[in-house]
Amino acid sequence: MVERSQQEVWRLTPWLAIILCVANFVLMAFDARADSGQRIIRVWTQTAADFVQSPVTTVTSSVSGYFGSIANLRGAQSENEALKQRVQELEVELKAKEDLTTENQRLNELLNLPEKTKYKVLNARIIGRDPSVWFDSSIVNRGSLDGVKLNMPVVTNGGLLGRVTAVGPLTSQVDLVTRDKSGVGAVVGEIAGSNALGVVMGSSKRELIEMRYVPGTADVQVGQIVYTTGQDGIYPAGLKVGEIVEVELGSATTPHRIMIRPSAGLGSMQEVGILLYEPPVKEEFEKQIAKPAKAK
Amino acid sequence: MDQLKVTIALILAVLLQWTLRNVAEPFAYIDFPLIIVVYAALQRDAVKAILFGAFSGLAIDALSGGLLGANGFSKTLIAYVVSELARRVYLDNLLLRIPVIAGACLLDDLLYFGLHRLLGQEPSGELVLTVSYSLIGTTVVGTLVYLILDYFLTERTSGGSRGRETLSARRQSRRRNPIRLGK
Repeated sequence: MVERSQQEVWRLTPWLAIILCVANFVLMAFDARADSGQRIIRVWTQTAADFVQSPVTTVTSSVSGYFGSIANLRGAQSENEALKQRVQELEVELKAKEDLTTENQRLNELLNLPEKTKYKVLNARIIGRDPSVWFDSSIVNRGSLDGVKLNMPVVTNGGLLGRVTAVGPLTSQVDLVTRDKSGVGAVVGEIAGSNALGVVMGSSKRELIEMRYVPGTADVQVGQIVYTTGQDGIYPAGLKVGEIVEVELGSATTPHRIMIRPSAGLGSMQEVGILLYEPPVKEEFEKQIAKPAKAK
Repeated sequence: MDQLKVTIALILAVLLQWTLRNVAEPFAYIDFPLIIVVYAALQRDAVKAILFGAFSGLAIDALSGGLLGANGFSKTLIAYVVSELARRVYLDNLLLRIPVIAGACLLDDLLYFGLHRLLGQEPSGELVLTVSYSLIGTTVVGTLVYLILDYFLTERTSGGSRGRETLSARRQSRRRNPIRLGK
């Protein structure tokens, strides 16, 4: 009797494996679609995981913070003096900036220019990193209840970090700019003074990102800073992406190949800011230009 | 009771996988759920191992930036392959389990990477380097975990009815071995 049931189990096993493999493959194919939004399994698993990840992160960060503060005591006095001097310098700079802002507002009013889009920054803490070694996404402790929406940009004090790719009620998933599929519209140098426009995305080197499609005739040098242009419909203009570390020069017919070191310290970040930014809505005629086939 | 203990071990493995990378980056190279899935498969309980593989894989995928179902696919397949191997070959010795967990880790990584490439998603990091670190980490930790699990799960079985059942199952699988029968 036991023997027969064991044989039945062995006969059932390949079928069970095939059914589960096919189900997983269908799920993968569905998830790989370009127009895919967020998945309900992902959202609710993240919400459930929050109850484990948050306490673990709190404990580990407080323990490492305690030992870190002891280690930092040695250099605290010299650091304090340096910071005091820096505060004085910044006060002078702030005064100059205030004057410029006032002048800018006055000139804007004079020219009747439309007001630029403004956004708030929501502070968040990273409570989980990608459990798979092949990807670099992170989980933050802010969700839809805090006003977070899909595709909102995420920054650190260094610069652009990535964007929100899944939103649960309590948590959100953030994909970093190092991801191959991330496409950030960017420019080398200031927007007004440069024609070196391109798209920043992940590269085969984990710590670097690549800027593609920059015309080979544009003047690009190592050490220049890359900023967002705001033309991708996700990120606002003027966010610092990183610094150029390598340039493979192109020609009149081939684009430059530019490697960038991201400004945001991607390996050691703990606190991030989510920009509650929604890109300006495209005008109706712009939509029609973008989709000529549908317009017919 | 042993079934419950292995299930608890799997839940703990998933929780560790979710949290440990935030504590230290090198922990990402250890695949805790795979260690438990292979252990369950080595117990010759194929159905349980396959279900473990599918559910733990999905739990990892849900928190990952990769495709939903990629880990589920690879771990389900590995659970089936290892359970079939354990049915045909004697693998109760810890030394024999080391190449099994190493092979399972290698296959899991290659499947995961290949599936993403197949569906147009490029995983970050260099293949050889990442697979090598993952192989070393998972094999070393897996061997230690098997020592611990063996200690807790076989403590009560010496000479008892559980021991006779285990030996009986082993005799049956050896009797049915088509290679030994020359079929």
